[in-house]
Amino acid sequence: MKAPRPYNLIAELTYRCPLRCPYCSNPLDWKAVGDGLDAEAWARVFREAAALGVLHVGLTGGEPGARRDLAEIVRAASTADLYTLLVTAGTPIGAEGLAPLVDAGLRSVQLSIQDAVAEESDRIAGTACFEGKIEFARAVRALGLPLVLNVVLHRHNLGRVAEIIRLARELDAERLELANTQYHGWARLNRAALLPTAQQLEDAAQVVREARRAGPRPEIQFVLPDYFADRPKPCMGGWGQRALVVTPDGSVLPCHEAGRLPGLEFWNAMDRPLAACWAEAPGMNAFRGEDWMPHPCRTCPERARDFGGCRCQAYFLTGDAARTDPACALAPQHDLVVAARSEAEAELVYRGRAP
Amino acid sequence: MSEGLETTRGFEAALRRIGEERYHHRHPFNLRMHAGELTRQEIRTWVRNRYYYQTRIPIKDGMILAKSASADFRRDWIERIHDHDGQKPGEGGLELWLQLAVAVGLDRAEVESLAHVLPGVRRACDAYVEFVESHDLLESVAASLTELFAGDIMVVRIAAFEKHYPWVAAEGLRYFRSRTHQAPRDADWGLRFVLENADTIPDRQRCVAALERKCEILWGLLDAVERVCTRPEVVTHASVRSDEQTGKTTVVLPERVLNLGGSSGEILARCDGRKSAEEIAEALQAAHPEGRSVADDVHEFLDEMERLGAIRRLPAVE
Repeated sequence: MKAPRPYNLIAELTYRCPLRCPYCSNPLDWKAVGDGLDAEAWARVFREAAALGVLHVGLTGGEPGARRDLAEIVRAASTADLYTLLVTAGTPIGAEGLAPLVDAGLRSVQLSIQDAVAEESDRIAGTACFEGKIEFARAVRALGLPLVLNVVLHRHNLGRVAEIIRLARELDAERLELANTQYHGWARLNRAALLPTAQQLEDAAQVVREARRAGPRPEIQFVLPDYFADRPKPCMGGWGQRALVVTPDGSVLPCHEAGRLPGLEFWNAMDRPLAACWAEAPGMNAFRGEDWMPHPCRTCPERARDFGGCRCQAYFLTGDAARTDPACALAPQHDLVVAARSEAEAELVYRGRAP
Repeated sequence: MSEGLETTRGFEAALRRIGEERYHHRHPFNLRMHAGELTRQEIRTWVRNRYYYQTRIPIKDGMILAKSASADFRRDWIERIHDHDGQKPGEGGLELWLQLAVAVGLDRAEVESLAHVLPGVRRACDAYVEFVESHDLLESVAASLTELFAGDIMVVRIAAFEKHYPWVAAEGLRYFRSRTHQAPRDADWGLRFVLENADTIPDRQRCVAALERKCEILWGLLDAVERVCTRPEVVTHASVRSDEQTGKTTVVLPERVLNLGGSSGEILARCDGRKSAEEIAEALQAAHPEGRSVADDVHEFLDEMERLGAIRRLPAVE
């Protein structure tokens, strides 16, 4: 099969992070995955990605600022002619750590905050960092870079979407991503403690509609979470279609979660050319295109839009990654998602403790 | 919404409230016009485009005329057509508007040709004619009740032009002066008709909705005029490039990659924060003299680029 052209590289530079958010999408065994690529290895990955057609790189983690050679890595991406987006919690880089990254060619920043209220934000982050984040956001704008704010939404902060939007305006954010929790990684462990009610979501959606009417900026992204929508999301724009992830140890994946699917063989950018890892690895081709699709996806007119939804969600809910994503109302196992909506409240399990 | 509509007095108050809240006297473009902040180019663009609206008025009034079985109604309503078209060539509101066009420095024949009417303005005005075509006499008359608020805005406008735009010759303002007495007279008559004929709550609700729709149409007209006068600029953090693999124009932004085809590269290259959207559309047309009109496509493309965060619009400057 001829592989499509990737446009976007998601470079997970490290899984280390000073924050302990209970919905982190990193693997539960993140501590076992070391930072296998030095700056030089990342530079090679960037050059090979650009040759494949990639135009944009998200430098993420974990917290990319946990790496001491971050400026060197930013410079390598910039030299490879990739548009750089730093996806960060703002700490430990800090306002003063930003200028060297801009000098190295950094083009844009996506900053996560956990809530609009310091106390609640720090409670979810598991560490006191909110004030530092606000300072960091102001430094981003002061240096002339566009700021994207990312806030993961769940039961405990959905009631403050209006305050979050106000904060995004005040910080002069270009875009606000109100990202309803995806139940992977630590979020899956905490699903019962994070799932919102349908009413909370409806209220938040109303607040977003009103805010959008007030003006075009910040652009607000808000999509109903899978568990409350009737159709699955076009996950990653399709498996192995537009984006590739390189993990801290060099694995090349179609999404940050795919490495947890059993029986799939992915290749490592330390061992083979990136082009081969993208185009030829058996795991990459497992769900490319439509040949793998089960019924009802195979004949569904929506398949060109949603590509059958999320393979990882299908696996974690049904035990088989090749099933229709249960988030779809047409899926034979949609009842799994319906049942989850009414899960009882539970305690948060913080990242870092043994689950 | 039906609150207060049980009584005639409540119904009238509801109609007047719509004007207070939604009539285009509150539109930013009109506020700027009356504060003396519009550029000559903006005034000209407004005059040229608003002429299209003027040309639609007698057409919709003719449709309203044809909806009524009452000779009294028709005898009165036909006055509006006389007001706009005059009793003979060289008279009437349309003629006065063309004199305004000349006074602001436009070419009379060019304005009359309607060749450069913006797509958004055309859509808004056509929507009004289509509304009257597809709704009954009561709703059509209710939609015309924006005239209730037109007299006041004309008084403000005349004062604003005399004070802030002295370069517009006084005889150019005759249209505005004529409307200061015509509009209230027509509106009083129309209001009386609506109050007398809408005697159920559902009828009154239909009238309220018709007037709201009309306010939206007038608002949309100014939106289109305002946007075309802005100066689009590619945001500084966007990377616009010609793709090595496809040769197509590609825009890379913090959170998205846009693969664009056609003339998008030519348009974006002109989005430098100096040229207005209208000038960009004209330049594109000049670059493609053989092709069909490209103005619609250019303005739609610019709207889409703004939505996706690739351009921003700077206000017009002199």
